Amino acid sequence: MRFTQSIAPTLLLLATGVAQAASSWGFDDGSVQIAAKKGGDSIKEKFGRESPLTKPLSLGSTDTLKVLLTAKEDGKGKRPHQAFLVLQEQGSGLEAPFPFTVKETGKAVVQISQKDLPVQLRVATEPMKASVILASFGSAQGLNAPIFEIKIEHDAAAPPPTYEKPLRYGKKPEIHHIFRPDPKSPPKLVSLVFGLAVVATLPALLIGWVALGGNLNHLSKALGTAPLSHATFFGSILAMEFVFFLYYTSWNLFQVLPVMGAVAVVTVLSGTRALGEVQSRRLAGER
Amino acid sequence: MRSLFSIFVFVFAAVVSAISTSGNRLLAILDDVADKENYSKFLGDLESRGFQISFETPKSESLALFHLGERNYDHILLFPTRTKGLGPNLTPNILVDFMNANGNILVALSSEVAAPSSLVSLLSELDIQLPADRTGLVVDHFHYDASNAADKHDVLVLPPPKPVRPGIKDFFGTGAGKEEGDDVVLAIPRAVGAALGASELLTPIVRAPRTAYSYNPKEQTEVVDDLFAAGEQLALVSAFQARNSARLVLVGSAEMLQDKWFDAKVTKAADGNKAAKTFNREFAKRVSGWAFNEIGVLRVNWIEHHLDEAGAANESNPKIYRIKNNVKYTISLSEYAWTTWTPFFLPSEDALQLEFSMLSPFYRLPLTLDEAQSSDSASAYSTSFKLPDQHGIFNFKVNYKRPFLSNVEEKNTVSVRHMAHNEWPRSYVISGAWPWIAGVGVTVTGWLAFCALWMYSAPVNGNRETKKTQ
Repeated sequence: MRFTQSIAPTLLLLATGVAQAASSWGFDDGSVQIAAKKGGDSIKEKFGRESPLTKPLSLGSTDTLKVLLTAKEDGKGKRPHQAFLVLQEQGSGLEAPFPFTVKETGKAVVQISQKDLPVQLRVATEPMKASVILASFGSAQGLNAPIFEIKIEHDAAAPPPTYEKPLRYGKKPEIHHIFRPDPKSPPKLVSLVFGLAVVATLPALLIGWVALGGNLNHLSKALGTAPLSHATFFGSILAMEFVFFLYYTSWNLFQVLPVMGAVAVVTVLSGTRALGEVQSRRLAGER
Repeated sequence: MRSLFSIFVFVFAAVVSAISTSGNRLLAILDDVADKENYSKFLGDLESRGFQISFETPKSESLALFHLGERNYDHILLFPTRTKGLGPNLTPNILVDFMNANGNILVALSSEVAAPSSLVSLLSELDIQLPADRTGLVVDHFHYDASNAADKHDVLVLPPPKPVRPGIKDFFGTGAGKEEGDDVVLAIPRAVGAALGASELLTPIVRAPRTAYSYNPKEQTEVVDDLFAAGEQLALVSAFQARNSARLVLVGSAEMLQDKWFDAKVTKAADGNKAAKTFNREFAKRVSGWAFNEIGVLRVNWIEHHLDEAGAANESNPKIYRIKNNVKYTISLSEYAWTTWTPFFLPSEDALQLEFSMLSPFYRLPLTLDEAQSSDSASAYSTSFKLPDQHGIFNFKVNYKRPFLSNVEEKNTVSVRHMAHNEWPRSYVISGAWPWIAGVGVTVTGWLAFCALWMYSAPVNGNRETKKTQ
C-alpha cells in the first residue's frame, strides 16, 4: 500500500511528461517569398521554427507576400485545424490573422498583398511582427512562433493611406484661454516730456499776452462799478470748470446736468450785467 | 396604527427600491421555464438582491414589454432560445424601444443554439456583429480547461478581465486575484464570440485571448477556410451603454452563468495543467449588477458657481459675470454601489473636465477633489479660473462620458458682460494719457486767463491812436 502511494505521483508525473512530450505541432520547409507585380525581382528567404529571419522584409504596394510551410505533428505531415499567419502591429498590439490554405499532407500556403491588410496595419511605420500559429484539437501542444518581421513600403506616387482613430470616451486635452495682450503705454519718460511740453505752452501764452500789452488794470474799476455781477460772473465760469472736474473724478451725468443748469442760469444773469459794464467802458472809449 | 403601518410600507418600499437605481422588475426569457433550474444560483443571487423575476417564454401571448406606453419591466434577461425569431412581442423594434425607454437588457448566447434573428438584428443595430449563420464557437488550443474539454478545447480559461485601456474603472476584475494558493480564473464554456464595431458606446468586458478563434462547428470541422474573427477582436462579454445610459450586456456563453461553473474547479492547460478555481459567480453578479444599474451609476447632486474675487458678494449661481472675473465652479457627484450612494472617485489616469464654452470651449480644465465639501455619500470636485476676455453667452459644461459609467452631461448657462465704462483704470493711471490731461488743464487755465484778460485789460497807450489813423 505504502509502495503504491509513493509510486503513484511519480507515475502520474511520468504520464503527464509523456503526454506533453508525446505530441506537439511544428513545421518544416518554411519559406517566404515577396514577388513584385511587374518585373521578376522576387525575394525568397527560408526560415525555421528556431531560426526566424533576423532582417525585416519590406512589402511594396504592389508586391505579394507568400508564406509556405509544411505543418507537422511529431514530424509527420498533418493538417491542423488552426493554421494562421498573424501580423502584429508593434505600437498598439493590434493583430490581423490570415488563415493558411492547408492540404491533407500539411502543405500550407498563404498569400497577402497590401490591400488585404486592415488600414490600421497599413499605416504602421514600424516593422510588423509575423508569427505562425499551428494548433488543433486533442492533446497535441500548439505552436505559436515568430518567424519574421515585415515593413510596409508605400508607393511614393500614390497618396499614403489615411486612418482616423475612432472616437473613444476619455479625457481630452486641456484648453487654457489665451488672453489678448493688455493695452500698452509708451515709455513714461516720453509721456512726461510731451506732457511738460504741453504745460509749457501756458506760460508761453501768458508771456506772449503780457508782451503784447495785456494787463488787468481795469479790474479795480470794473469791481468798483459792478462788484457783485463781476464777482458772480467770473465765479460762475470757475464753478462751471469745477463741475467739469467733478464730472471727471466722481459725478455722473445726472448729477452734473442740474448743477450745470443752475450755474448756466447764474452765468447768463450775472453775465448780462457784467458784460454791460464792459460795454459801457468800451462806449466810454476806455477799451 | 394606520400611520405606523404606512411608515412601515414606506420603509419597506425604500428598501426594495434601493436595490437598483432603476427598478427591480426583471423579465427572464427562457425557452422552457423548467430550464431555470440550470441557472438557480444565478437567479437566486438576483432575487436575493431584490429583483422580482417574471419568467416567460418567447411564445407566451401575454408577454408585453409595454402597457399604455409605460414599461412593464425595468430589465430583461434573455437566455438562449431555440426559436428562430423571438415572436411578435420581442421584435428588434420593441427591444430598441425598450432601451430608448431606459430599459436594460442582458443577452446570454450559446454556441449550441443559433441566436434568434430578432437578437441578431438588435445587436447589429448596436454595431455588434455575430458570426454568419448565427452560430459560432470560440476555441483556443492554448488556454483551455484540460479537465473538462481536453479534446474539444471549447472551455476557455481566462485570467480575470482587466480594463481595455487606462483610465477606465475596473468593475469586473478587481479583487479576483489568487485565493488559497489557487489561481482564480474565469471559465467560459462554449462561447459565441462577437466582433464589435468602432462605436464609442461599445466596450468589451472580456476579450478572447490572442490565440483564440471562432469557427462554425457545423461546417468548418476540418478546415477554417473563412475566418470570422480571431484573437482579441473576439469579444466574449461586451457592454453597450446608450446615450440615455440604458445598458445592454452580451454574454457570449450562457453556460458560464449555470450552477455547474459557479465556483468550479478547472485545470489550466496553459500553465502546465495547474488547478484553478472559477470566479464565475462573482463575475455573473458584477455583470448582471452593471447591466441592471446596480453599479457604475452616477448622480449629480448639485452644481454651484460663484465669483471668486476678494471682497465681492458671495452669491451662488449668478446669471451674469464680467469678463476677466475669477470664478469658482463646484460639482458634487455620487456613485451607486450595490445598495448605497457613495462618493465618486475618479479612476486613475482619468480626469473630470469642465468646459467653459461659447460654441467652442474657451477652457477645458480638470476638476480636483474638494475634501471640504465632500461627504460620506458625495464627493465634490471644483476648479477656479479667470473668465475669458470675450463677452457673450457661455456654458459651464461637464460632459463626463466614460465606459461603464452612466453619462453625466450638465450645462449651466451664464452671460459674460464686457467691462462697464467705470470699471476701466482711470486715465491718470495710464501714463500715455498724461499729455492729453495736461492739454485739458492748460486749455482750462488758458480760457480762464483769456476771460479775465478780455474783461479787465486796460488799453495800452497809443494803441487806439494807431487804430484810428488806419
